Amino acid sequence: MGSSIAQKRLFHEYKNLSTNPPEGITAGPVSEDDMFYWEALIQGPEGTPFEGGVFAAELKFSKDYPLSPPTMKFVGGGVWHPNVYPNGTVCISILHPPGDDPNHYEHASERWSPIQSVEKILISVMSMLAEPNDESPANVEAAKMWRERRAEYEQKVRDEVRKGLGL
Amino acid sequence: MHDDEPSLNIPSLLTLAVVSFFVIRWFFNRDDGPAGASRPRGRGNAVDPAQVEQISQMFPQLSTRDIMWDLQRNGGSAAATTERILTGRGLETPPPSFQPQVAIPSTNATVPQATSTAPTKVDGQDLISRYNLSEKIVSEKDAETSTASSASSWSQNKDERQRLLQKRRDEMILAARRKMMQKNQDNPQ
Repeated sequence: MGSSIAQKRLFHEYKNLSTNPPEGITAGPVSEDDMFYWEALIQGPEGTPFEGGVFAAELKFSKDYPLSPPTMKFVGGGVWHPNVYPNGTVCISILHPPGDDPNHYEHASERWSPIQSVEKILISVMSMLAEPNDESPANVEAAKMWRERRAEYEQKVRDEVRKGLGL
Repeated sequence: MHDDEPSLNIPSLLTLAVVSFFVIRWFFNRDDGPAGASRPRGRGNAVDPAQVEQISQMFPQLSTRDIMWDLQRNGGSAAATTERILTGRGLETPPPSFQPQVAIPSTNATVPQATSTAPTKVDGQDLISRYNLSEKIVSEKDAETSTASSASSWSQNKDERQRLLQKRRDEMILAARRKMMQKNQDNPQ
């Protein structure tokens, strides 16, 4: 019963994202037959080693969206980043439900609630690429490199960016 | 004929009565008056997301923030907010300090399990092969014109929408690739 609300809302968000897309973001369902499975492209923010890159991610929504947040995972080539698990899963506060905060450092307002949206998630992920959150590394290796060997980190990211574009 | 007083006919009296009923009711609810005793108050004035969703689906042009503000002020009555919108008075813009509190029902807060049912494409491949763009790279050569054309796209037709989305996606990747190649040419490492 709740899934039709989720579907309507997702369709509405899809329409908004298509008619008025935020800079550097393309997102929508892989097929409209399944509104709960989306794919998004995010441009790497300028002035960061991710600049010039395009990153693909899949978004999976639950049937009780927007009560529960979707999950987001970068696909096709890893994103070397402290807050992205080696398998591509993104770990940021907006993707966490309000009650689920094992570390108690996130403010409730940063976390998921039904007034957030796919657009806000993607924009948050974009700024996450620019500014890693060192407090909760999902990729310990990347976090360590980012902290201690910044030049090496940035070079690795640039290499991945080029590889992602098939260059 | 002259006893047909145009300013006091029955329809206009009825309209006046209905409108003033809503105005008075809204006024009393806002002031926490006895008229609002039956509605579900309390719960820390948190707004039920289902109600917000319900209203924003009926009136997608309204911002959810405005809806939440109105719901919070009338004690969480979706009917009152709907009436308010329907009577044409519109919703007030909440003050900037307004922080919507959202009540999440604890019953169905099931965390989405990242079910890996769909056999996703092989990881570790680049976007060009992922979206089969190698032909387009060859064919486009120096066709650098079509970048800004599809900034916004929507169609009433489902297949057309799908096609437009795919086109935007392809263009985004190809444009990034072009730019990167240009950059590499300008200052080779």
